[in-house]
Amino acid sequence: MFENVEPEIVGPPKGEFDYKDVETFTRYLDANGRLYSRKRTGLDAQGQRQLKKSVKFARFLALIPYGA
Amino acid sequence: MTEIKHTYQAMFLLDNQEVRKGYAEARDWVRSTLEKHGAEVSVLRLWAEQELAYPIGGRHRATYLLGWISGTGQSVNEAKREMYLVGPVFRVLFLKAESIPEEELAYGIQDLKEGELVIPEDLPEEEEEEVYAEDLEPNVAEGEEAAAEGSSEEVTEPETPTEPTEEAQEAAAKSDGAEAAEEEPGEDVKPEEESSNV
Repeated sequence: MFENVEPEIVGPPKGEFDYKDVETFTRYLDANGRLYSRKRTGLDAQGQRQLKKSVKFARFLALIPYGA
Repeated sequence: MTEIKHTYQAMFLLDNQEVRKGYAEARDWVRSTLEKHGAEVSVLRLWAEQELAYPIGGRHRATYLLGWISGTGQSVNEAKREMYLVGPVFRVLFLKAESIPEEELAYGIQDLKEGELVIPEDLPEEEEEEVYAEDLEPNVAEGEEAAAEGSSEEVTEPETPTEPTEEAQEAAAKSDGAEAAEEEPGEDVKPEEESSNV
């Protein structure tokens, strides 16, 4: 009845996350601007926290929208 | 209490209307405000001029200034507080950094050549008012429906009453008198048959 579909893993970036590098971390956001989970991003805990902070800084500076 | 100096990366969002008056003036205002509160400005350069992801205070575009400064936490906070009160800056982000990258140090306090920063004119906002039939008053809604139905028919304006001339007034008075005379005997007439029977 329910298919257990494995999500596509994005994978870690080449360097560290930077809030100014919008193109890099928009790969980790869905169409509504929400962050993918660790299961889908394939990042470790530290990387996921860096990503979360970068996205929030970018949203504050109106580089990316808060929602769809 | 000892105040420790830190290195900060700062991003300033400048109002395009202020930057149009002069980029150098806006940049110098930011620099002087930071230095007034005790921070040292190592780098202050133009990062981008672009459209905002969402409007901030009616602004749809902004000029981004990237700076690298060193100072105490108190100096940074005081500068930020002043920037939000006055001046061309409408949003600031300070982030603590370990050191200033060499690539950034090469910029220093950046001067722009003429034509290097082109700011497009602000487009007028398009106001989209969504009017729902539920929000309208019932009489208004009915009136609009009736107007929509009868829109195909020709609409004639009602004739305005004209003032009667003197001759017409006299003629009307005479005719009224004649009608009154005709009506009076009619009212007083009693059935003769009833009286004869008695």
